[in-house]
Amino acid sequence: MKGSTLIKIASQSILKNKMRTMLTMLGIVIGVGAVIVMVAIGQGAQSQIQDQINSLGTNMIVVTPGSSRQGGVSRGAQTYNRLTIKDAEKIKRESLFVSAVSPVVFSRTQVIGGQGNWRTTINGVSTDYQIIRNWDLKYGRFFDQSELRQMRRVMVLGHTVAENLFPEEDPVGLTVQVRNVPVEIIGVLEPKGQTASGNDQDDVVFAPYTTVQTRLSGWSRIFQILASTPSSRDVPAAQEEIRLIMRESHGISRFAEDGFTVRNQNDLAETEQGTTEVMTMLLAAIASISLLVGGIGIMNIMLVSVTERTREIGIRMAIGARGRDVMTQFLVESIVMSLLGGLIGVGIGFAGSSILSQLTGWNTVTSPTTVMIALAFSAGVGIFFGFYPARKAAALNPIQALRHE
Amino acid sequence: MHHETVMRTEGLTKVYTMGKTEVHALQGINLSVDRGEMIAIVGASGSGKSTLMNIIGCLDYPTSGTYHLDGVQLQNLSRNQLADIRNSKIGFVFQGFNLLARTSALENVELPLLYDRSRQKIAIRKTAEEALERVGLGDRMDHEPNELSGGQQQRVAIARALVTNPSILLADEPTGNLDTKTSVEVLTLFQELHDQGMTVLLITHESDVANCTQRIIELRDGKIVVDKRIEPVKAHMTTVTDESEETTPAFT
Ligand SMILES: Nc1ncnc2c1ncn2[C@@H]1O[C@H](COP(=O)(O)OP(=O)(O)O)[C@@H](O)[C@H]1O
Ligand SMILES: [Mg+2]
Repeated sequence: MKGSTLIKIASQSILKNKMRTMLTMLGIVIGVGAVIVMVAIGQGAQSQIQDQINSLGTNMIVVTPGSSRQGGVSRGAQTYNRLTIKDAEKIKRESLFVSAVSPVVFSRTQVIGGQGNWRTTINGVSTDYQIIRNWDLKYGRFFDQSELRQMRRVMVLGHTVAENLFPEEDPVGLTVQVRNVPVEIIGVLEPKGQTASGNDQDDVVFAPYTTVQTRLSGWSRIFQILASTPSSRDVPAAQEEIRLIMRESHGISRFAEDGFTVRNQNDLAETEQGTTEVMTMLLAAIASISLLVGGIGIMNIMLVSVTERTREIGIRMAIGARGRDVMTQFLVESIVMSLLGGLIGVGIGFAGSSILSQLTGWNTVTSPTTVMIALAFSAGVGIFFGFYPARKAAALNPIQALRHE
Repeated sequence: MHHETVMRTEGLTKVYTMGKTEVHALQGINLSVDRGEMIAIVGASGSGKSTLMNIIGCLDYPTSGTYHLDGVQLQNLSRNQLADIRNSKIGFVFQGFNLLARTSALENVELPLLYDRSRQKIAIRKTAEEALERVGLGDRMDHEPNELSGGQQQRVAIARALVTNPSILLADEPTGNLDTKTSVEVLTLFQELHDQGMTVLLITHESDVANCTQRIIELRDGKIVVDKRIEPVKAHMTTVTDESEETTPAFT
């Protein structure tokens, strides 16, 4: 029998039982809608994290003390090499790929001034830090090389700190107290927002690392060294170069472990992305269960419909339908219903995602891939759950089917 | 008209097994039908009329015996082959009409053509419309079964049986669910089709219906006990005279 005829017969049958069709489709509609919304939330979270990672700075390389952990699992005993100012200077001096290097010293401290006091993180960095993080200033300027050398008591405020101590005011030129030391504010940074893990990147102040190490904290250890390359293409080469420079700087023998870790932004991102990917999968899995339930709903209705329509099947067979025709009719019916349900579900999923992101402020992303997969999945549901009832209908004996009341 | 055999059975038997009991519904039916004949099959309820009709109509298999239709022996045929024969060579009219609900008369009549795989491209709609016009329902094509009277429904069913231009038209108590007046109309229609050359086999309980035909075959306990040719009477005349002994419609 021709495909068009089959579709005609099946769609006649679907249209003639609008209520039954709608109830059958409902399960698929909800299932597909749920999958679209859930995946939209997951992908939204992923893209948000990607944005935040990009906001960390471009082409950034991070050197931290201690050997790397792979997949969060430590590989036996850790070798630990402290980072030194000398390391940072050596990288800056010798590396061909790296254009900016900054050590990071940090300490939690109280900043007093303006509206009162604010507990925040004080970061001691070099002048390159601003370049590495690609961070613009809202007011004033970043400190310069001479201020660094002279360990001047100058400070650049993160946006959150400035907002809290000096709301709606340009504090450049004013003085704050840090550990009873007066420090001049020379700039305020533009806001960068939260990190993926929810930390406020703007709740921070920056000062020359020399100043921090000597005057503003008793803590002089270098927490990390940041570096960046002009182009992202150079990042892997720069990483390897930094590793070799570091090994040389620490006089590490040929077979010994590094005792420090050099990572780039993508390495950092992978952990976070991995987590949200798992989350997306989980959400999709939960939503797929409702799709599965929808599929079972279709099978239920189709099975009931085989019984209910036994007489119809008998009539069709009596006038010359082959078992195969009946089976294809039922299959096409169930596929058309689940595809139609899938389409409506996609619409509802899109609407739901945008409503949800408006209500909660969550980032949601709906992609054509999700739609294709959802539709393919619902067609699959139609075939899978339609097959058994269809085969059952095809196996009926025409006389018995005709006698059925 | 020369005698050309449309169908012929030899030693046809049908045994139904229900648990331990066996029902011998047909016990050796030898029947030969010429093209253009109109035959009534009569007999008491349970005598095997429907069983015979179902086998002739390729809805069921005989237990033993041979059956030729249009010169082809129908033995060891697959379900699909039987379906194709039902579609192209047989028109079946049932007591209970058996139309698809919520489906217009035209769509019902189109149905056998949709399942027809022997013919290539034919004008399905036009052929179906012609069939409906032939049974006098040219003005009811878009009506659904529940918008039609019993007689009209049966005529739609007859149009559906005719639409493929079958070799033989089978009707199992086609007037069983109809009142006397409508029965006459339906029988007249069968006679008209017969006059146009159609081979008609109809099962009936009512003797006046049987008298409209040329040949009466009576079954008893699965055997043919009477096979006689008669001079047919026009349907409307008999019913007018036999009004007094109106038989109640039998439901089998
Ligand atoms: N599917 C079946 N299973 C068992 N017995 C049947 C079946 N169909 C018919 N019979 C039996 O076969 C006999 C003939 O039935 P049937 O052909 O329907 O008679 P009629 O149509 O003349 O009333 C009856 O005894 C009936 O009970
Ligand atoms: Mg009967």
